[in-house]
Amino acid sequence: MNAQAAAQAAVAHDEKKERADKIDFKMVTFSLGGKEYGIDIMNVKEIARAGRFTYVPNAAPFVRGVYNLRGDIISIIDLRIMFHLPAERKDENALESLLILRVEDHVFGVIVDYIDKVVGVSSAAIQPPHPIFGDINVKYIKGIIENQGKLYIILNVEKLFAPKKEEPRDEPRAAAAAGLRAAPGAPSPRDEARAAAQEAAGIKGDLNAGFVAETLATFKKFSVSTVNDAWFRARYAEWRAKRGVEDVQLHAEADADQFLSPFYSPGTGALWSEDYAAAVAAALPPMPAKSLNVWNPGCGKGYESYSVACILKAAYPEARVKVWANDSDLLSISMAPNMVFDIDDVPERYREFMVKGRNGWSFTQALRDSIFFEFHDVLNANPIPPADFIVCRDTVSFMAPQDQKRVLADFSDKAKEGAALLMGAHETMPLDGWVPIGPAGLSLYAKGSR
Amino acid sequence: MRVEYINPFVESAFNVMKEVLQADVRRGELFLKSTSMPVMGVAAIVGLAGDVEGRVLFDMDKPTALRIASAMNGEELKALDELVKATITELANMITAQAVTKLHELGFRFDLTPPAIFTGDNMEVSNQDVEALIVPMETPQGKVEINVAIRERA
Repeated sequence: MNAQAAAQAAVAHDEKKERADKIDFKMVTFSLGGKEYGIDIMNVKEIARAGRFTYVPNAAPFVRGVYNLRGDIISIIDLRIMFHLPAERKDENALESLLILRVEDHVFGVIVDYIDKVVGVSSAAIQPPHPIFGDINVKYIKGIIENQGKLYIILNVEKLFAPKKEEPRDEPRAAAAAGLRAAPGAPSPRDEARAAAQEAAGIKGDLNAGFVAETLATFKKFSVSTVNDAWFRARYAEWRAKRGVEDVQLHAEADADQFLSPFYSPGTGALWSEDYAAAVAAALPPMPAKSLNVWNPGCGKGYESYSVACILKAAYPEARVKVWANDSDLLSISMAPNMVFDIDDVPERYREFMVKGRNGWSFTQALRDSIFFEFHDVLNANPIPPADFIVCRDTVSFMAPQDQKRVLADFSDKAKEGAALLMGAHETMPLDGWVPIGPAGLSLYAKGSR
Repeated sequence: MRVEYINPFVESAFNVMKEVLQADVRRGELFLKSTSMPVMGVAAIVGLAGDVEGRVLFDMDKPTALRIASAMNGEELKALDELVKATITELANMITAQAVTKLHELGFRFDLTPPAIFTGDNMEVSNQDVEALIVPMETPQGKVEINVAIRERA
């Protein structure tokens, strides 16, 4: 060995020694099912031996009961059962080894096989857990450390016993992939929802906009998402300019209605106007099929279903048009099949499909037969044949974000190749596989790749 | 489910039950359901075919079935025997038949299968892909849920 190598070895040895000497982590070690474990001493209030715990009915199997620790009632958890390790059953009066732990404000006891001693180690020497650790779920392991020839598994007590927090829902978050994550440190679900709404709307930092988005969800079930965030941002700016920063919040349903009033597409709650119908008819891709299936979820009172049926019948008189119109509002849709109109309110283009009856003008039997009005919730299974045209205006926006995703995916699923999709005037189709084909102001898409 | 089908079922259920029980029957709020649903204990099922496919299920618990059968037969029935089952089956048949007659008048062609009755505990009905309309009926004898799942033949 030359001098240089010897010097290096000496330095390495010193470093190792130094590292081992710097003790900044102490843990209480114990055994469970024959293996050695450790828990950070800062979480250990004391150790005790006790038995005859009071059984608690209906508790989880690993809860052995409660125990009176000098006047404090603490719950007793058997770690061996929690980790599905073999636990010897002692008789009634035998004493168990207990570690009394404190996590946040909770104090409780855990039963282990045998409590060993307190070991001081250097936190730098703790190795991260390996995913194939076996007995104990990796997320409950803080790390592994070697001390005097023994390997100790250090348990993460905070994770194990902290009060259950709701798993963060990733659905709304995904709406803004690039958005900032909610602040670390266990944000409540409510904060998360708000953060997600803000992210989706791209208005981070403006808390008021987040509140407005949340109030819309509360009052009108309107969810700001990728479907409508462009409109929401513009509308919010306009709203703030009009109402002033002081009075920007929506205090009641009336405010929410007012906020949303420009959202609705032309021809909501009425037959589509001459202009709008002509614009849609002109922008639609050619539909050469002999039978045209239209799916119209959220048809409301049915005006738009009639409008679409008339447009298609006029454009393709030879084709067999079938409109599957559905809505989950029974009151609205139950009137739809037998609608009666005042002829003066009916734009010219629809009149050829109407006949005069006893109570007023209504659509011809042939046209009515082409529309199936169904009381149906799109969130349930949709037994719709492959569609040539999907009309879903101002409906998706009023669903919860995760439902929006499901329904939009269902659109992609149910549409034939080349099919058209008409969404609300202020909505966009966020999914891939749809190409915008409409003029400005018409959210019309065709299914297919660019 | 087509809007046109809803009323005939609701009306005939109401009329028939009111008539056979000679009592005040109230209808609860209608709603849609798609996941599997528990059956209360006695279920009579009538299949539908024709322009549509589907089924109608009459669901009630055992004490309700006994009380309804007792009321319909005009005697106190204590056990869930053949007579009780036949009575409940008949009730299902009457309601469905009347609804189908009404639908026929409206121009919809439906055929019925003979009713079948299921009894047992902890039963569940699952219909993949079909959502059911639930028509809850409150009678003095107990609650009966009429569960209508019909879909168009595409």
